[in-house]
Amino acid sequence: MLLRSWITFSVIFSLALVLIFVGFLVSASLPFFLDYGLSPIVSSEWYPYEDLYGFLPALVGSAWAIVIALAIALPCGLAAAIVSVEILPQRYHGLINLCIDILAGIPSVVYGLLGIALLLPWLKNNLDLLSGHSLLAAGLLLAVMILPTITRLSQDALRDVDNSYREAASSLGLDWSQRLFSVLLPQAWPGIRSASLLATGRGLGETIAVMLVVGSIDRIPEPWYNLLAPAQTITSRIGREMGEASVGSSQWSALMACGLVLTLCVMLLSILAHAPRKRLARG
Amino acid sequence: MVFGCRLYRMLNRIILACILLLPFQFSLAESTISIAGSSTVLPVMSDAAQTYKNDNPSTNITVSGGGSGTGINAVINGIVDIGMTSRQPTEAEWVKLSEKFELIDIARDAVAIAVSKAVIKSGVSSLSLEQIADIYRGKIKNWKDVGGFDEEILVIDKEPSRGTRHVFAEVVLGDAKARAPGASLISGSNNEERSIITRSNQAIGMLSHAWLNDDVRGITLKLDNGDTVSASPEHVLDGSYPIQRSLSLIVAKNRSEALQSFIAFLQSPALVPSIEKNGYLPLN
Repeated sequence: MLLRSWITFSVIFSLALVLIFVGFLVSASLPFFLDYGLSPIVSSEWYPYEDLYGFLPALVGSAWAIVIALAIALPCGLAAAIVSVEILPQRYHGLINLCIDILAGIPSVVYGLLGIALLLPWLKNNLDLLSGHSLLAAGLLLAVMILPTITRLSQDALRDVDNSYREAASSLGLDWSQRLFSVLLPQAWPGIRSASLLATGRGLGETIAVMLVVGSIDRIPEPWYNLLAPAQTITSRIGREMGEASVGSSQWSALMACGLVLTLCVMLLSILAHAPRKRLARG
Repeated sequence: MVFGCRLYRMLNRIILACILLLPFQFSLAESTISIAGSSTVLPVMSDAAQTYKNDNPSTNITVSGGGSGTGINAVINGIVDIGMTSRQPTEAEWVKLSEKFELIDIARDAVAIAVSKAVIKSGVSSLSLEQIADIYRGKIKNWKDVGGFDEEILVIDKEPSRGTRHVFAEVVLGDAKARAPGASLISGSNNEERSIITRSNQAIGMLSHAWLNDDVRGITLKLDNGDTVSASPEHVLDGSYPIQRSLSLIVAKNRSEALQSFIAFLQSPALVPSIEKNGYLPLN
């Protein structure tokens, strides 16, 4: 009885927290949207002192950083999952999982420090950059940070594929790559997709490591595909400016609006990540 | 087994008691003074806090950074007792500070134009204010245009509300809030700025004079009358170095006894060693 009411309480509490957070973000950023409308989202100038709050540079920066991260982490993470589940014998699984968990457990500020100490000088020297601070640096760091999420969840997705599929594939005489591409990956696809979506959400929300290497300058890369340019992400902007914005000022509600946009993106990704699982369960 | 069970239960109770008593533990500490803001003023205050604590062990003092803008906001919002600032509050900030707070100057400091050691070695010995402004406006992009080597300039700007940024922009760009379209990076604290300049061979930035070292050197300014001045204490004192400012504290006029006693300490000559040790100029 006690346990049951405790569980009920916990569930209601978690739900209430989500609603309170989102409600707060909406109410805190409402003044901003009432004053400026939705045009800041597509405007490119962010100068709080001049009351200009354009979200576009940060949105573009966040998008590029996560695209780079996914482009690297998705193939690597998937490959790691395939190797660890399908190829290596059972007794290595513990070791691999341990490594992945350690990778996931390293605090993001430490990744940021490694980024400053190793990545920035390396980029600077090899690509002949001014300082190394760039979208590429942020993307590379994010790739390492979302790699464990992708690997772990993809492993689960592969393990969930029933053994009868593997047996059927072998008995049909399919070779290893056919088995992988025509049987295992399609079967595990919903899980892999939600892994990437969750990892995207995690990457979008990552702050401190990105803030230390991205350059924090509110400028859209020129040309638009110049990943070697320093830039700004939504998180790095909030991280840099939140402390100095006075509560209730238009800068404050503009930052809250940034937070709201980010939260909505991540929530959407989480919902998308859960959707296919439901459908599977129903079918 | 029974003993183990009892031990376990006892441990649980102790943990529970600790959690429940947590709020009281805070209130038991006799008095706490919290300070936040300018990373330029920070070393002086942590020194002063250390000295003060030696004689007043019952007072706890915490000092953290964040920048002048953060310090001013935190004190307005009641998050800290003392806000450190290395610039004057803006008009909007004054409105919020209103009559309830006062500004206490504790020292003076110069904002140096800091460049990487390699830049000085390449032959750039001094820059005029116009040249620096052109660099920050993006009109001069290469060190060779100001007498140095053929390398692109890494122009480091600061977060807009930082004290150093305000003072620099006011003197060099003509307006404390001016944009700097030539900037290639934004940095935060003095520490962050200094480490970026150290790692680069072609950087220029703005830094409190006290934070210069062998790798990060202050460049001398070429004045309109042809003189060159460095950001040294003498030139701050005689007023010939133009980019200088007061380091100040913002504190509520209505304050507790412990806070009042600490403020009195900060306004006494006892603060002078902390100021001088960190490379700033005492007021008198």
